[in-house]
Amino acid sequence: MDRRQLTALLGYLSFGGLTAFWRVVKGFAQPLETDAHVERAVGAIAEVMFPGDGLPGARELGLHRQVLAHADVQPMLASGLAFLDRYAASAGAADFAALDEARRLAALDAAFASGADGIQSFVMALRLHLGTAYYSSPAIKSAFAYTGPLQPDGFADFRDRPA
Amino acid sequence: MSEATEWDAVVVGAGAGGAAAAYGLCRRGLSVLLLDAGPRFDPSTDYPLTDADADTRIFPEKPGSTGKVSFAPGQALGDEPLLVSGSRGLGPVAPGGVRLMDRYHHVRGIGGTTLHFTGEAHRFHPDAMKMKTHFGVAADWPLDYAALEPYYVEAEELIGVAGPEQQGARWRSRKFPLPPHPLSYASQTLGRGAKAIGLDWQANSRAALSRPWNGRLPCNYCGGCNKGCPRGDKGSADVTFVAAAVATGRCTVRPDSPVVRIEAGSDDRVKAVLVGRPDGSLERVAGRQFVLACGAIETPRLLLASDGLANESREVGRNFMDTLFIAVGALHPEAQHGRRGLPSDAISWTYNAPDAIPGVVGGCRFYNACGEIELGGLAAFALRAIPGWGRAHAQSVRQLWGHALHVGAIGERLPNPDSFVDLDPAARDRFGMPLARIASALAESDVARLRFMAKTSHALLAASGAQRIYESYSSWDWFAPTHVFGTCRMGEDPAGSVVDAFGRSHRWRNLWIADASVFPSAGGGEAPSLTIQALALRTAERIRSA
Repeated sequence: MDRRQLTALLGYLSFGGLTAFWRVVKGFAQPLETDAHVERAVGAIAEVMFPGDGLPGARELGLHRQVLAHADVQPMLASGLAFLDRYAASAGAADFAALDEARRLAALDAAFASGADGIQSFVMALRLHLGTAYYSSPAIKSAFAYTGPLQPDGFADFRDRPA
Repeated sequence: MSEATEWDAVVVGAGAGGAAAAYGLCRRGLSVLLLDAGPRFDPSTDYPLTDADADTRIFPEKPGSTGKVSFAPGQALGDEPLLVSGSRGLGPVAPGGVRLMDRYHHVRGIGGTTLHFTGEAHRFHPDAMKMKTHFGVAADWPLDYAALEPYYVEAEELIGVAGPEQQGARWRSRKFPLPPHPLSYASQTLGRGAKAIGLDWQANSRAALSRPWNGRLPCNYCGGCNKGCPRGDKGSADVTFVAAAVATGRCTVRPDSPVVRIEAGSDDRVKAVLVGRPDGSLERVAGRQFVLACGAIETPRLLLASDGLANESREVGRNFMDTLFIAVGALHPEAQHGRRGLPSDAISWTYNAPDAIPGVVGGCRFYNACGEIELGGLAAFALRAIPGWGRAHAQSVRQLWGHALHVGAIGERLPNPDSFVDLDPAARDRFGMPLARIASALAESDVARLRFMAKTSHALLAASGAQRIYESYSSWDWFAPTHVFGTCRMGEDPAGSVVDAFGRSHRWRNLWIADASVFPSAGGGEAPSLTIQALALRTAERIRSA
């Protein structure tokens, strides 16, 4: 991922409207054939990144499979997952998915802090796509106030303290 | 190449200026062909805000609705901690130490960029039109506020602008046609903060209906103005000026019709424009009068690509001014749910006059910026406002959703020699026309203004109770403007300007410009569309009498 692509991932705002954020998030869907290891590993990432904590989690919603279809994630998968598996091996586990929740989180933190080429971008891209899919999911949105369609009703209570 | 019928006037560009010019001409009995490079949008089908994912939708892309441009390299950045763009959750926008030349926000289509604008309807501060005389910067407008005021009234009436009784220096000969919109809960919270630090805070004047008007429904405060207004209460040019022009029976509207060249005669008159067709061929369209209204990027591009037409002064493309902008978001201890209500419903004009900011020439204004950055919905909030992941992240999102407040500020951007639009030497469009290339560099005075805007935005948020800043975005390191100006400035002196006070080329007697490229200065943060429309109506009246 080059600098401009990364910037687009990190930036989302424009004066006059929302633009790059949703354009980036929605712009990459492509089919990808993945092996069981990749799907299991990304599922494990989804499980700890967006666990639900009382609501359905990202893995439970099957969002890890959706994220694998993003073209900007695909080139980063091999090196990103290899980093996480190496971390797991150093902790005595077979691979990342075999770690418990606390050690998975520690592995993700280590990847995010890594200076290795593309590893931080890998974590940020998964966070962006998994988080977007998760918090756009009807099952999750319905648990939050004021997340319904903007029309046809608008917000009749816009002057009032939120209910 | 085929040739179409000759029209009284051919208007190129159906945005704020072109639509108003077309209406003004039709109302005065002229036949008008209104061309636009982009498509026609249907509010009932193109803006599906009834869908469950409406909050993640942006203004729709359709074939031809975005023009291509290129950019000169971005400016090297110094150290300005208050002006760095980014969020706690997603990090910096431009981490490379160079200003990110990202994009020029616009819509090509019938209605132009007004289709996705927020819909602020501002008159210029009268003093901001005389920057050279009073402050020694930019250039004077060759007309004053009084000359423009009747046309402001005409535009406001057609649009159905809702606004307050008074707006300080912007004196009025007639009230706004509609009463102001009530302030949202979030704006009321900000209003208490503004009062605490001595800022005025009043209802913004908005091109959104507060009552039914000319058969259009009033706003129902969904907040989705920038996504396209399916109800038609937002006063975009398609549902106001274009509709009114067509209703005269004298306006023919042609979308998907890019003009790629202007054909000039030997008698200081323009003969025709060449219009690209979907199959790649060209059509020659003749007319008696020609009005360019393609905006401050595409109008100079078209002139320069037409062998430098109307560039006797060498000013075409120079004096480019973009949006000087900052927006800051912070978390309030109590839920606000600022996405409810009309975006930018409140404004502070306290520092809008050109001499209002201490120590720097050029004004600015502050406003409730929820429209720009609150309406990304739950996902955008969760990823921007709360860093990290895991259970702690999930708990914070649940606790803080709806607690965001946003303040925006827009300020005067003065012209300088390093900011201009020219033709890209290599990149061309499908008709072989060179792309516009944008160069933009902020001067120290612009950065000083931005610093003041940032500090005051922080102070306003803090005084409103929102202490925890989680994101800030500014044009210091991120070039992504919507408001652009100045590249065919108007003036009295043909040696220093492109058009006269009525938008007419100093040389070419039937060539007129009716967009923000004619602005000699950019104002103290006013949204430009109403002024563009007022100028275009004035131009139309002049054409009729020419």
